[in-house]
Amino acid sequence: MDWLLNIWEHIHRAFIEKDRWQVYLKGLGVTLEVAFLAAIIGIIIGTIVAFMKLSKTRKGKPTILTHIANIYVDIIRGTPSVLQLLIMWFVVMKSCDNGILVGCLTFGINSGAYVAEIVRAGILAVDKGQTEAGRSLGLTSFQTMVYIVIPQAFKNVLPPLCNEFIVLLKETAILGYVGLSDLTRAANQMTSTIYEAFTPLIGAAVVYFIVIKILTILLGMLERRLRRSDNR
Amino acid sequence: MIIVKDLHKTFGDNKVLAGVNYHIHQGEKIVVVGPSGSGKSTFLRCLNLLEVPTSGEIWFDGQLITSPKTNINKIREHMGMVFQHFNLFNNLTIMDNITLAPIKLKLMKEEEAKENALKLLQRVGLSEKADAYPGSLSGGQKQRIAIVRSLAMNPKVMLFDEPTSALDPEMVGEVLEVMKELADSGMTMVVVTHEMGFAREVGTKVLFMDGGNIVEENTPREFFANPQSPRLQEFLSKVL
Repeated sequence: MDWLLNIWEHIHRAFIEKDRWQVYLKGLGVTLEVAFLAAIIGIIIGTIVAFMKLSKTRKGKPTILTHIANIYVDIIRGTPSVLQLLIMWFVVMKSCDNGILVGCLTFGINSGAYVAEIVRAGILAVDKGQTEAGRSLGLTSFQTMVYIVIPQAFKNVLPPLCNEFIVLLKETAILGYVGLSDLTRAANQMTSTIYEAFTPLIGAAVVYFIVIKILTILLGMLERRLRRSDNR
Repeated sequence: MIIVKDLHKTFGDNKVLAGVNYHIHQGEKIVVVGPSGSGKSTFLRCLNLLEVPTSGEIWFDGQLITSPKTNINKIREHMGMVFQHFNLFNNLTIMDNITLAPIKLKLMKEEEAKENALKLLQRVGLSEKADAYPGSLSGGQKQRIAIVRSLAMNPKVMLFDEPTSALDPEMVGEVLEVMKELADSGMTMVVVTHEMGFAREVGTKVLFMDGGNIVEENTPREFFANPQSPRLQEFLSKVL
């Protein structure tokens, strides 16, 4: 009640006084930068790993690439991302002091494992008859993939991929563990500057919400465009 | 034209083809009938190596296509295939469905391929559907387009894998009509089907498969009038 009565005062102190909004904005910048680059790295790694998992020998057996991909996915999915971040920061890339770079790589490698499963499922969901029809016309397996399977798989993949990006964006909130001032950490530090927790934290939450809402709307528009050929 | 020697195919422990031998000549219309699980679809799918045989040889125009050294993609350009479930490319318009392979395999220029596609579409009475997507067509229309898509490659032989089995009864006729016309034009055809009327009318030879082998082979007249093996007599008594 007290907070509601003095709402303007609280907001003023948490965001406007001494241009404090700049702190959040910088934090948001870090969050978006890491999330965006990680998403791109994740898509690249995920797509490659998905095809590694789908690779087969002439006899239809899994290849060595499949096993490597399985191990990668297992390790990433089997460990907490906070630990992955700490290990990257303190062990693997110890000599690198560019936190953003370490963050992008960690989250990119992490996201790649999940994207790999999404892409693999998306490709498998395309009816086998589509591949057979392509191959029966004399197209190579690569041509069949590029012109027929992947365009159809892309539509299947988009909704779960959107989900993965949302998770990724929010997961970057753990960047504070390695000293990066992302949006969450900026808000958290603000609480000790102004001796009040509620307003900065709610403010950060609202910003996350708006960013994710925009992302959802954009991907929804893309999905509707892609569904045009479906007629359903 | 196609010579099959001692063709075997097993899926795990399941023996689907047990030493099939057959010789298909230019211009023949071979109709393959038999109960489900007899291996007739697998036999057909082995002919263009969509199913890789466990052992045995398949020769097409003097080339051993079961050899790993043969470029199967080149062979398939000359072997059209029509599927039970049409398998039109859902992400492409009808026109693109038909012209994709000829253009991408550099067999025709784009305008040439389109012109050819329009001609073929006219032949099956579907030229107004060129810009539609497969999702908006009926089953019969889809299958006619699928036939056109294969024909656009100017194949030497056409393989049909139960082309009317997934169709509503009233649409079977329009597809069979196209196939009959194709047969009259002299195309070599191998057709797996349950349409006995089609076998009788269009086939030059009818094969009866059971238990992974060709049990009986005859001209349509003899095949239906004088079935020799008890297994075929039983089969015909059920389906006719």
